[in-house]
Amino acid sequence: MELDDIRGGRLDVISEEGEHQDISRESSTMEACYVVPEPGGRTFQRFSVNTNESLRFEPCEDSCPSPTAAEDDVFEKGEFEGEIIPVRNQLQGKVAEMENFAGHLEEIFLTVEENFGRQEQHLEQHYNDVLQTLSQRYDERATGLQEEKKSKLESLYGQLLVCGQALDASKVLIETAQEIYRCQDKRLFLKTVMPIIKRVEEFAKEDIDLTLATSLEFSTPLADLTDVKTMMDSINIVPAPSAPVINPQLPNSATQTSLHVCWSLFSDDTVEYYELYYRPVLEDTPADSTCAPQESKVKVKETHCTVTDLLPNAQYELWVTATNTTGISPASEKALYMTVPSPPVIKQRECSSCPEAALIRWESGNTNPVDSYTVELSETGTVGTESNITESIVAVPTCQCLIQLQAGRQYFISVRAVNIGGPSERSDAITISTTGTFFYLLEDTAHPCLSMSEDGFTIFYGDEELPITAMAFEDNTFTRCVAILGDLIPVRGRHYWEVEVDEDTEFRVGVAYEDTERDSYLGANSSSWCMRHIRTPSRHKYEFLHNGWSPDLRITVHPVRIGVALDYDRGTLSFFNAHLEQHLHTFRCHFQSYVHPCFSLDNPGALTVHNGIAAPDYTVT
Amino acid sequence: MALTQVSSNKCAGGFQKVFEHDSTELKCKMKFAVFLPPKAETGKCPVFYWLSGLTCTEQNFITKAGSQLAAAEHGIIIVAPDTSPRGCSIEGEDETWDFGTGAGFYVDATQDPWKTNYRMYSYVTEELPKLINSNFPTDPDRMSISGHSMGGHGALICALKNPGKYKAVSAFAPICNPMQCPWGQKAFSGYLGPDRSAWEAYDATVLAGSYSGPQLDILIDQGRDDQFLSASQLLPDNLISVCSEKKIPVVFRLQPVGPCSSSQCLAEEFPPLSFSFCHRTTRNFLRFLHD
Repeated sequence: MELDDIRGGRLDVISEEGEHQDISRESSTMEACYVVPEPGGRTFQRFSVNTNESLRFEPCEDSCPSPTAAEDDVFEKGEFEGEIIPVRNQLQGKVAEMENFAGHLEEIFLTVEENFGRQEQHLEQHYNDVLQTLSQRYDERATGLQEEKKSKLESLYGQLLVCGQALDASKVLIETAQEIYRCQDKRLFLKTVMPIIKRVEEFAKEDIDLTLATSLEFSTPLADLTDVKTMMDSINIVPAPSAPVINPQLPNSATQTSLHVCWSLFSDDTVEYYELYYRPVLEDTPADSTCAPQESKVKVKETHCTVTDLLPNAQYELWVTATNTTGISPASEKALYMTVPSPPVIKQRECSSCPEAALIRWESGNTNPVDSYTVELSETGTVGTESNITESIVAVPTCQCLIQLQAGRQYFISVRAVNIGGPSERSDAITISTTGTFFYLLEDTAHPCLSMSEDGFTIFYGDEELPITAMAFEDNTFTRCVAILGDLIPVRGRHYWEVEVDEDTEFRVGVAYEDTERDSYLGANSSSWCMRHIRTPSRHKYEFLHNGWSPDLRITVHPVRIGVALDYDRGTLSFFNAHLEQHLHTFRCHFQSYVHPCFSLDNPGALTVHNGIAAPDYTVT
Repeated sequence: MALTQVSSNKCAGGFQKVFEHDSTELKCKMKFAVFLPPKAETGKCPVFYWLSGLTCTEQNFITKAGSQLAAAEHGIIIVAPDTSPRGCSIEGEDETWDFGTGAGFYVDATQDPWKTNYRMYSYVTEELPKLINSNFPTDPDRMSISGHSMGGHGALICALKNPGKYKAVSAFAPICNPMQCPWGQKAFSGYLGPDRSAWEAYDATVLAGSYSGPQLDILIDQGRDDQFLSASQLLPDNLISVCSEKKIPVVFRLQPVGPCSSSQCLAEEFPPLSFSFCHRTTRNFLRFLHD
């Protein structure tokens, strides 16, 4: 049973610690353990020490046997239990250590292999080079020698031929002479002998060049093995470094005007210093290379560098070389880094809000496009108390964002521009209150006769008649009705604002679609709804106009502060005398799209818009 | 004051009931209609009094106007009394349709033989509210009053004569200046005698001219082609000019069609109009309930 195994195993291990153990005491100790009741049985760990396998653990469970021998010691469980546990813990600790050590050894083993591999490779290459060079030289010399031999043989052969020819000629001469000498005909002999004799004499006078055309020796120029020697020597010399590897841009490592560049060296080369080169990547690369952007260089000892004085939202090309006493490494690959953009600028007058949302618009702040924008908001708490709940909306593609908010709070909202290099600094924040509906008036829709106050909420229709020529009409301005639109209300639900007028001001206030005819009067078409006040000498007249039609209404108390309540969901537009909390009229209209508040003055006067007000209860039923 | 339930019908999630009681002001048995919205089962509700016009009873409004839906939605109790005392056996009371039975004109008569029973003003402003408040789950501080034609006249004068009592008042084709129109002159001379100064106390236009009290918001709807308008029975312009002068807020709508002042026409021809009127009236009332 396991008991024995365990005991055996246990004994082996314990013998490491302390050599002398009383076996009988051991067994009683063991039994004492088993008497101790524990829920769910004990798991006892043992490990095999004498194998080649890596250390592993096998849990083994034992049942609780009844004590085999009743010994007095058995019931003194406390003492023996106390001894066993620390020893066991010690062993466990040791085992863990050994495992760690083994792991570490493995790592070292691998690293040594790697290093060795690298060194070996390096050596092999070096010696290969040397061997190659030598064998090249050998080939060269051998070829040279061969050629020399060939030329010598050729010339000797030539000489041989010449000699042979000369011999042949002499032979022929002698034979001729002998023939003549033997010739019986004396008369013929006398005729031919003289020229022959002359020829023989001449021939005899000829010097025979008996010198060898070439020497029998081969020239053995000194072999120029200096470069081989250098190569051999260089095996012992520190090589010039290999090319470093430049890292790709780390997120959030760049600022508007600086870049943090890192690189690494994947070899054991010694390096004295690095040189980082950089130049801006221009959009239009001129054909003329003399106008190429200027290259700058920084010398550093570390494997990182922060380059400053750069342009925002700009791309730069960077590469690095490593230098030691031997020389300069080849350049690394070129990496493209980008500086972070400049922060955007929120367009205060183009932001609007309502209890559940805000529409924020901004200018990019950068001449070149950026990848996206991040909008950040933090709540200032309800009325005064500070709390920093921050929320971010990322990957906003255009320069505007409709943000969901909660009613009755105040928020700081700012925007960052984002590109590959990271996010820009925060723009200046805008404060948004989600009390009521808030919007600015759209100046570019105003009829030229309208002028606006500084704060943008009061419009005036002046007394003087502007000549037609002085009026600058643009695409978006009203041309007949002296009107202006408010910013779009792009959120469903209820909205409320108030308009303050004088006793005698003739006005139209209401809502209109964005594409309402600019050459038409508010309320005269199907794209606008408004309350109209007409002043006659005797009384006030009111119309609630849409499509040129109005119900017949009489109002006895002239409203000077008109509450306008728009409900997209119910499809209603209501008007109230805000001072009296009196309901005047409600249009029931099915709005096909979001609308703009609209205002016009039909005679010289002024009109002030009040918004950002919570809708009073009486407007809500 | 014992109430006897005459009928009860489930309607719009609530109950449309009719009760009968012995009226101390009118000294006869009177019926009135009460609509109890679902909310009345659990809480107190504001009360809307509807005064019907000439020839009507407590039935006309509850059967024809369709007001129960709006009332049920907003948790409002509607009370519609009868238009005059009934069964008093007064000589001449059934001679004409615009005087006597069904034409109480919401005044407290001072002339014989009418003065004993024809006290509709006190009935509507005193006895009935007390009765309603003690028998139904009402919020006594929140009452509004409305009516059609003669009932419109009734609503206007009750509101003008009791500043602050009614939170909202509206009228559908009301008789605005009874002293100046044939109907009013006939009724007043019969109920109140020849002294015109006595009539002033029951003329909305005159009362408006001397009204002083909390702001009263008046809503009036009138059909353009109403025969009685053209017959100069209603005279809204008179009321409007006085209110303009006295800065009493009135919104007066001239509807493109013409509900004649007859109650039959009211609902039969123009259910959507009356419904819309009720809706706007209810909403008007509701606005004041938020104070």
